[in-house]
Amino acid sequence: MGIINFAPKILDPIPGGKYVVNAVDYVVNWARANSIWPLTYGTSCCAIEMMSSSMARYDIARFGSEVFRASPRQADLFILAGTITRRMAPAIQMLWEQMPGPKYVLAMGACTISGGPFIYDNYAVVRGAQNILPVDVFVPGCPPRPEALFHGLLTLRDKILHETCRNPWEEGYPEDVSRKDRYREAAKTWAELEKIKDEEMAEAREKFKAENPDYKSAFKPARMVKETFPEVGRPEAAVPATGELSQAEIFNRIKEKFPSASVQGIDPEAKTEDGQSLLENTLAKASSDSPVEITLDVKDYLAATKFVKEDPAFKMDYLIDVTAIDYPDHFELITQLRSLELGHKVFFCIPLKKDESVPEEKRSTSLLATVPSITGLYPAANIKEREVYDMFGIDFTGHNDLRRIFLDKDFVGYPLRKDFTHPDMIKRPV
Amino acid sequence: MSYNNIAQLPPGFKIIRDENSEAYSDEFFVNMGPQHPSTHGALRLAIRMDGETIVELVPHHGYIHRGMEKQAESMSYLQYIPMSDRQDYLTAIQNNLGVVLAYEKGMNIGVPEKAEYIRVMLSELGRIASHLVFFGCFGGDLGGQTCLLFGFKEREMVHDILEEVTGSRLTTNFFRPGGSRFDVPDTFIPRVKAFLTHMESTMKDYERFLSKNVIVRERSIGIGILTKEDAIAYGCSGPVLRASGVNFDVRRNNPYSIYSQLEFDVPLAYNGDCYDRYNVRIAEIHESMKILRQCIEKFPAEGPWRSKEKPVKLNPGRYYSEIETAKGLYGTYVVASSGDKPYRIHTRGPSFPHIGALNKMVQGLTVSDLVTVMATLDPVIPEIDR
Repeated sequence: MGIINFAPKILDPIPGGKYVVNAVDYVVNWARANSIWPLTYGTSCCAIEMMSSSMARYDIARFGSEVFRASPRQADLFILAGTITRRMAPAIQMLWEQMPGPKYVLAMGACTISGGPFIYDNYAVVRGAQNILPVDVFVPGCPPRPEALFHGLLTLRDKILHETCRNPWEEGYPEDVSRKDRYREAAKTWAELEKIKDEEMAEAREKFKAENPDYKSAFKPARMVKETFPEVGRPEAAVPATGELSQAEIFNRIKEKFPSASVQGIDPEAKTEDGQSLLENTLAKASSDSPVEITLDVKDYLAATKFVKEDPAFKMDYLIDVTAIDYPDHFELITQLRSLELGHKVFFCIPLKKDESVPEEKRSTSLLATVPSITGLYPAANIKEREVYDMFGIDFTGHNDLRRIFLDKDFVGYPLRKDFTHPDMIKRPV
Repeated sequence: MSYNNIAQLPPGFKIIRDENSEAYSDEFFVNMGPQHPSTHGALRLAIRMDGETIVELVPHHGYIHRGMEKQAESMSYLQYIPMSDRQDYLTAIQNNLGVVLAYEKGMNIGVPEKAEYIRVMLSELGRIASHLVFFGCFGGDLGGQTCLLFGFKEREMVHDILEEVTGSRLTTNFFRPGGSRFDVPDTFIPRVKAFLTHMESTMKDYERFLSKNVIVRERSIGIGILTKEDAIAYGCSGPVLRASGVNFDVRRNNPYSIYSQLEFDVPLAYNGDCYDRYNVRIAEIHESMKILRQCIEKFPAEGPWRSKEKPVKLNPGRYYSEIETAKGLYGTYVVASSGDKPYRIHTRGPSFPHIGALNKMVQGLTVSDLVTVMATLDPVIPEIDR
């Protein structure tokens, strides 16, 4: 702003000087309000609605804001489109600092207002943009429609049009009435208006009751009418293609090679009510649509993965996913494989005992289990194993790039463990 | 500057080069993102350059990691369905389907015929919408901002249909175990018909506009080649895998819903370059339109649109479902214990492995080619980070 900040102080005492200041304000605000250049920034869903609003149907150009700038140095408006995470927050602050003044911030969507759907039990999300930046306009919605964004833009326009180069915080300046008095007066008027409104509403309610004595609030939208629906059974599993192994065959072949194999959650000795083996029953019901999980010893894990990859009857060439589950005394590593050519799936479940030797106070911050990495067999496992390492604290031996993937490298703890705590986590009210 | 020890390199970089070689004298590092229009969200790419050539690339994830899987453990099963909307928000409706299919396995319930048609039709509409965004962003990233306007024009029509049916444009939260939240309105089928008629004529324009464009061909043919072996090894799926010549589509190989009763082709291409990935997606829009046309013919006017309502509570066990979204294989893994909350829900998003394979694809290209490759991978970052 520079010299213009001193203009009111010099010009206002001069007779007629106030009009000059007002005129300058008017012209400057008019120019600013009608060409707000937003920054191209978006993290999630709201960014798509922001894009929609700049496209043909909604056409943000009608409001003079179609010039989306990829560089913060050319932008006036920071539309915070999408969730702000703790990891992203410093980048956002840096972007805002790089923007030249006067700059404005529009927080779009529920996430930037309060954290939105990510308030409870969350360790990663900043609960509201106001915690990191001064926000001018909030636009609610999840995500807000383009029309809502335009309403936000117009609100911001109004705000800019009422800006002044006078310092609004100096008391009693430029008018003679103090700011305190003006505030008191406004509060008084507001209370009077509220009182009038309440009276009018009460009157209207009584009038409505007198006119419709039998009225009961029974609003029922047509789509919400209670209908009765039939019970539908599950469809039969698809016929296996040629060359596809059934789950029973898969299990038997692996069991032959690795005697420690068993089906997860099934006791091999258990019987069903009519005397059949529960194991055989389960295997007969399973298909490649809903495969069983084959529990293996850790020491067999690498060999078994190699076996199913190279055996011509299996040909498991495709890694779907590697993930884990945390139980109080052990982890279970789940490796999901499939054969693109033959169509069957093999799910391995590797129980990993938690390391007992780690002292109690260090358990939450240290790796508690070790398992061989399968990155040599499946390069796709690289990122998946990093994710398991990041979220559960399971060590993979033989992984050549084991770093945290989603969280900062100095993040303390492993979030997907059941006993994970974070100072900023709020528990979901029941 | 050159590096002869892996410890000297920033984390993630692995290639060690000969110190004495002259060709490697111009090495430097470039940071791209997390705020960059071409990274399609909050993704950061650390690029090691040699002059204008990319030597190596390390993606840094987590700028939009929102801890959805942790939150899922304290939510009820139904509360998690809106979370899936916020993963791949370009085809939120398909993510709903993926989650709901896993729940149905756990609840041991099926779906009436009409509900299956509603599911398939909305999913295919979602696929078209997502591919149209791809069309726009691909053109936009190559420098033709007009494509964005074109792609989003027809997408708004899809959103009109989705809004009328589900009540929301983007985050639909529509499917439920046993069917959906509502029946479709009477105007649904006429509107889809009108959309298809419109789309047929515009698709010709689109193909004339980009497919035969000299600049697009020059900048995408032979760029970012992903071989068949690499595509399988890195776990790619969807159009990226099919553009490398692998005939794999969950709708065909493990048909869910009523895809086994519908006739459609799986478009394939064999070079695995950017132009092929573009072409496969355009061909998929045609196939989706074919599926929609068949569904309109077979759509049962009468009959229940959902099965009997039951409390959403899964039998203890582990359930896995997978579907083919516009981006590829979307798997949902649910661990249910007794109680009305999931013990753990894990999502296997299709974009994550694609970014894992990015380093392999861009070595030896320039940064402008990297932008093209990123556009044709069509990643959605919140689905990666979750």
